Amino acid sequence: MDSLPYYLQTVVNGILAGCIYALFAMGLTLIYGVLNFVNFAHGELIMWGAYFLYLAMAEPFALPLYAAVPLALGMTALLGAAMDFALFKPLRKANRLTLLIAAIGLSFFLRNAAQLFWGAQVRTYGFEIRQGYRWLGVSLTPQQLAIIAISLICICGVYLLFFKSRMGKSMRALADNLDLARISGIHTGKVILSAWIISSLLAGVGGILMALDTNLNPEMGVVNLIKAFAATLIGGVGNLWGALIGGLIIGLAENIAVLFISPGYKDAVAFVIMVIILLARPYVVTDKRTD
Amino acid sequence: MKRFALIVSVFSLLACFSVAPLWAAENVKIGAAFALSGSIAVYGEGFKKCVDLAVEEINAKGGINGKKIEIVYEDNKSNPKDCVSAVRKLITVDKVPVLFGPAGSSNFMAAAPVAQESKVVMLSAQGTAEKLTQAGPFIFRIIPSNSKQGQRLAKLAFELGYRQLPVMYINNDWGLDLKDGFVTSFKKMGGVVTDIIPFDEKKTDYRTELLRANKDNPKAIVNLTYINEGAVQFKQAFEMGVKTQWLCGSAARAPKMVELAGKAAEGVMGTYPSVIQDTKEYKTFKAAYQKKYGDDKIPIFGDYNYDMVYLTTRAIEKGGYTAEGIRAALPAAAKGYKGVTGDKTFDENRGMEHADIGIWIVKGGKIEDHKK
Repeated sequence: MDSLPYYLQTVVNGILAGCIYALFAMGLTLIYGVLNFVNFAHGELIMWGAYFLYLAMAEPFALPLYAAVPLALGMTALLGAAMDFALFKPLRKANRLTLLIAAIGLSFFLRNAAQLFWGAQVRTYGFEIRQGYRWLGVSLTPQQLAIIAISLICICGVYLLFFKSRMGKSMRALADNLDLARISGIHTGKVILSAWIISSLLAGVGGILMALDTNLNPEMGVVNLIKAFAATLIGGVGNLWGALIGGLIIGLAENIAVLFISPGYKDAVAFVIMVIILLARPYVVTDKRTD
Repeated sequence: MKRFALIVSVFSLLACFSVAPLWAAENVKIGAAFALSGSIAVYGEGFKKCVDLAVEEINAKGGINGKKIEIVYEDNKSNPKDCVSAVRKLITVDKVPVLFGPAGSSNFMAAAPVAQESKVVMLSAQGTAEKLTQAGPFIFRIIPSNSKQGQRLAKLAFELGYRQLPVMYINNDWGLDLKDGFVTSFKKMGGVVTDIIPFDEKKTDYRTELLRANKDNPKAIVNLTYINEGAVQFKQAFEMGVKTQWLCGSAARAPKMVELAGKAAEGVMGTYPSVIQDTKEYKTFKAAYQKKYGDDKIPIFGDYNYDMVYLTTRAIEKGGYTAEGIRAALPAAAKGYKGVTGDKTFDENRGMEHADIGIWIVKGGKIEDHKK
């Protein structure tokens, strides 16, 4: 057995999966940090992001990729903002259970809406498939390189925005204490809107990358969101770096595990890690933030 | 007033039931718990058409020893709960000794214990799940089970010269059935299964599973997969540079899979249960169907339903019109019987001994029958 490339490829696969999970988890954790609730409809932003691109590239628009992507991302951001405006804004002062149930309801609504529109069947952007580049026995396709590169760009962008800009500072202030932030003169409405837009953009980018790499179906969001939840919990809810690291841990762990245990238990790996972390660091699910 | 209405309706109902046997006494009644409403009603209608056709033919030829066959249809509403009610009604109210069970393996398996406990023969013309007939000796099926396909796949692998290969399968009842069928037969023939890799439905990333399957660059990989999962897998395998002969089951045999996977699906092969259509029996059936209904689009599993009526008739003729008689006579009545859907001999599990399994291959972006 040519062992080195075999394991190297597994690590690369793990990083690829991890990047996608991290993009999802970061958007999820951002909304949690600012608004203090878990947006169960995040998976639908992922899915709609991918479908918006499909819409823009299909007839009658038939836009080229470079024009369609910004349009799709813009529409995803708009959807995120609309979600907040229509549902979460009126519930801003509601308790967390209400928000949770509202988000789950919204998730079903958006998923079924997509099914109504495009049907439940699987779709593809229709790009010609190509063999990956080979390097040290590891194969990588252009899409996969793009996943890694764009994830890195997004992570850096979010970092700069969150820790180096005024907006990020306001977001962090809001996350610490909404009322205090408001009386300190922070325009909370604007900050919350920005958080939704960034979260939606991250979801849209992740969804599009994933769909470019594989296919589109109305359930693509939900399936991967569960992993993103696990990643968020591992990293500490509300913690951006934690989401990134959590995503990578899960991606790597489940892929490496596939080599040794029956792949039927692939999903279990992520959740076993999650449970262990929760037991070892019980404060991550309380209101205490870990950053 | 309400009470009066209730009494009247109860009495009228009783009257109906007590009168029914009077005018139906001459007929041989067979129950049919079919899906006439609900999610799979579109199938149920087709089954009914073919059952009616067979009954009409048999009655025109004098029925069973001069008695006419009468099918008592009962709507099973396409769900397991109402399937049980429908079967129970046929057994207790209509008192049929034999009935045609619901379509859908899970529906059928929900109702099978009821028939078994009441010692009434129940037959399936659609259920392919391996455990379909395990409720007991009164439960029969006349369609090959999933494992038959697995056996044929093992034979195909041998015919193509593959002696060592890994097996991937989708982690559900269908995948498990087929995997077990394949692995058992392949090992019996002397083949070596190098690895067994279950995978979950609806995932987007199967790269590491594929990597593991392709570890020693096997010449062939058995992949018992669905349309979407198969498309993702073949695509990802192609990107990874996996060069192997894929051997699949029937669930991947769909133009959609080829559309999604594009050139990565080229050359993929697999098995599927097929009914050989250029036999004398099939042609006669098709012509009769066309004559009665005006179109030649045979409903899915319609041919099996047609055979089911003839087999039951033979068993009644042989064993008499009692449940025990039919149960005991069925295997002998079916032995060597050539129906529309081929040889109907039962095996020891009251399933089909023989199965006509076809081979499909993707060629030039189209799914074709593989010719040796």
